[in-house]
Amino acid sequence: MARAFTRLHERVTDGGIGRYLPLYNRLDEKHQYAYKLLFPALAMMFVVHVIPVVWGATISVMGVNSNYIADWTSAPFVGLEHYAFVMDPTTTIGSRYWYSISRTVLWSVGVLVGTYVLGLTAALLLNQEFKGSFFVRTLLLLPWIAPAIVTLNVWRMMFLSESGIINHALMSVGLIDEPVFWLLGDQALWSMTIAHVWLQFPWVMIMLYAGLQSIPQQLYEAAAIDGAGRWGKFRYVTLPQLKPVSGVVVLLMLLWTMIDFTTPYVMFGGSPPSSVEVTMVYIYNFSFRAFAFGRGAAMSVGLFVVAMVLATIYYRRFIRSDLEEEDQ
Amino acid sequence: MIPDEWPLSEATTDRLFALASKGLLLTILIWALFPIYWMVFNSFRTRFEIVGGDPSFTETSLHYQNYIDMWSRVDLIEYFMNSLIIASVTTVIALCIACLGGYAFSRYRFPGRRYVGASLIGTQLIPGILILLPMFMLFRTFHDTVGVQLINTYQGIIFVYTTFAVPFAIWMLRGFFDTIPASLEEAARVDGCTRFQALVRIVLPLAAPGIAATGMFVFLVAFNEVLFASVMARGDVTPLSIGMQQFMERDQNYWGEMMAASTVATVPILLLFVLFQKPIVKGLTEGGVKQ
Repeated sequence: MARAFTRLHERVTDGGIGRYLPLYNRLDEKHQYAYKLLFPALAMMFVVHVIPVVWGATISVMGVNSNYIADWTSAPFVGLEHYAFVMDPTTTIGSRYWYSISRTVLWSVGVLVGTYVLGLTAALLLNQEFKGSFFVRTLLLLPWIAPAIVTLNVWRMMFLSESGIINHALMSVGLIDEPVFWLLGDQALWSMTIAHVWLQFPWVMIMLYAGLQSIPQQLYEAAAIDGAGRWGKFRYVTLPQLKPVSGVVVLLMLLWTMIDFTTPYVMFGGSPPSSVEVTMVYIYNFSFRAFAFGRGAAMSVGLFVVAMVLATIYYRRFIRSDLEEEDQ
Repeated sequence: MIPDEWPLSEATTDRLFALASKGLLLTILIWALFPIYWMVFNSFRTRFEIVGGDPSFTETSLHYQNYIDMWSRVDLIEYFMNSLIIASVTTVIALCIACLGGYAFSRYRFPGRRYVGASLIGTQLIPGILILLPMFMLFRTFHDTVGVQLINTYQGIIFVYTTFAVPFAIWMLRGFFDTIPASLEEAARVDGCTRFQALVRIVLPLAAPGIAATGMFVFLVAFNEVLFASVMARGDVTPLSIGMQQFMERDQNYWGEMMAASTVATVPILLLFVLFQKPIVKGLTEGGVKQ
């Protein structure tokens, strides 16, 4: 492995990537080296992210269907017709598309709130040093470590209406009188949110815990001198100090949930109840069953734009300033 | 004397608070571990025990038949091996690439750094469904022109997963590299190391916990991916994420066997985690995503 690593490095540094790039040649040697190190990553990102996104956007303005899939370049140019069609709420497809977007947002916000509250609580509890805290930390990471493709099926089994353990438990303590259909209708969104929070909260927990660990103890001492109690320390020291790490955690959690496909697909399969037909699943079923690739691409671009707008606002507000400080 | 506003003394509230936090932690622990217990437990129950009658938390006939039948119901070994190969190779390659990138990102203030940083986050918001079809067409074009098949092969799906994992891995590793003082490499450079030797011999060993934690992350991304696997990893390379669904049939769900297979799939990963637990947990908590 070490040899392959060295060879990869040599390939990149000796390849003379700069020969063709005047901008690159103007960099000093140190910064050229930085770009050489980044080159494999940037090249791969270009092939798997940039080209396909541009390609996808191109497909979305062309009439690509099953007839043209072999030779998509000869498909007719249709302009923004697909966009107008899929975003028209008066049609069945358009209204279902908007409905799926609203479901996606609802789901993502639910997961975000759930994972953050639970993750922060667990992180705060772990942060009080006690015997065996390392062991507890490891145990709490297990939901995140165990493969999701496996544990999501366990959740599905637990949510079964007749024989599921959740209905049984709720009925035996008297919270419900008859079995709830957790995997059907509107309840399905709750089940999916609960299962996804279970999967993801350890990640939020460990990130926030890392943040907590880096808060200097002096700040708490100073707050204590100023007369702050438990709540005061949390409100005026912990929360502000956690802001940078929370910024990234919240953004990534939101984005990862919006574009997640594994959870809805494993829990509900190819034909989910409409309440959990999030945009990713809807587009997947729509474009790969109806072979309406042009329209599917238009829908995907729509989802991408929603995610991008959210992320840009958020990035400007919370994250960019930190990177700028570092640049100086 | 003025009576205390608060009826309980400070020592008592402290003790109550400690008790309450212990209780809360125990609740969270049960919530986190119960599904895993439930999976193992149900893998030892018969069909009737699972779907019929009263569910019970503890009753089982230690029915190990599930562990025998599951191998013939679906090609479990093949799917599992495929998943392991794809996820491990992805992890190794992605770590190599991300170590280089993360190091550059941590140590050098090069022009355009902000744009590289933004594009690393930017890749996280591209919906897979948008690039699925173009990737499929790109791979087919590649096959027609270069002659190398990427659809339904290890190399194709590994390439895709590696690229999915690299941006966030760079972001994570950069946080770990930030915690290692640059003076160490400068000293090594004075002693005659090249930049690259300083990276491999000085920085990477020190960043080992961070690399282990990032590796775990990459492995999980590759192991749990479903969308691309369902389209371009079929046939001989079908991974567990797709193959597992075969325990669900239209008229009959083999829950017991599915739980047995799930247990078998989880154990090696948990073993791996326990083996590298110290560096991984240390790595996860000591750096990573700082801002």
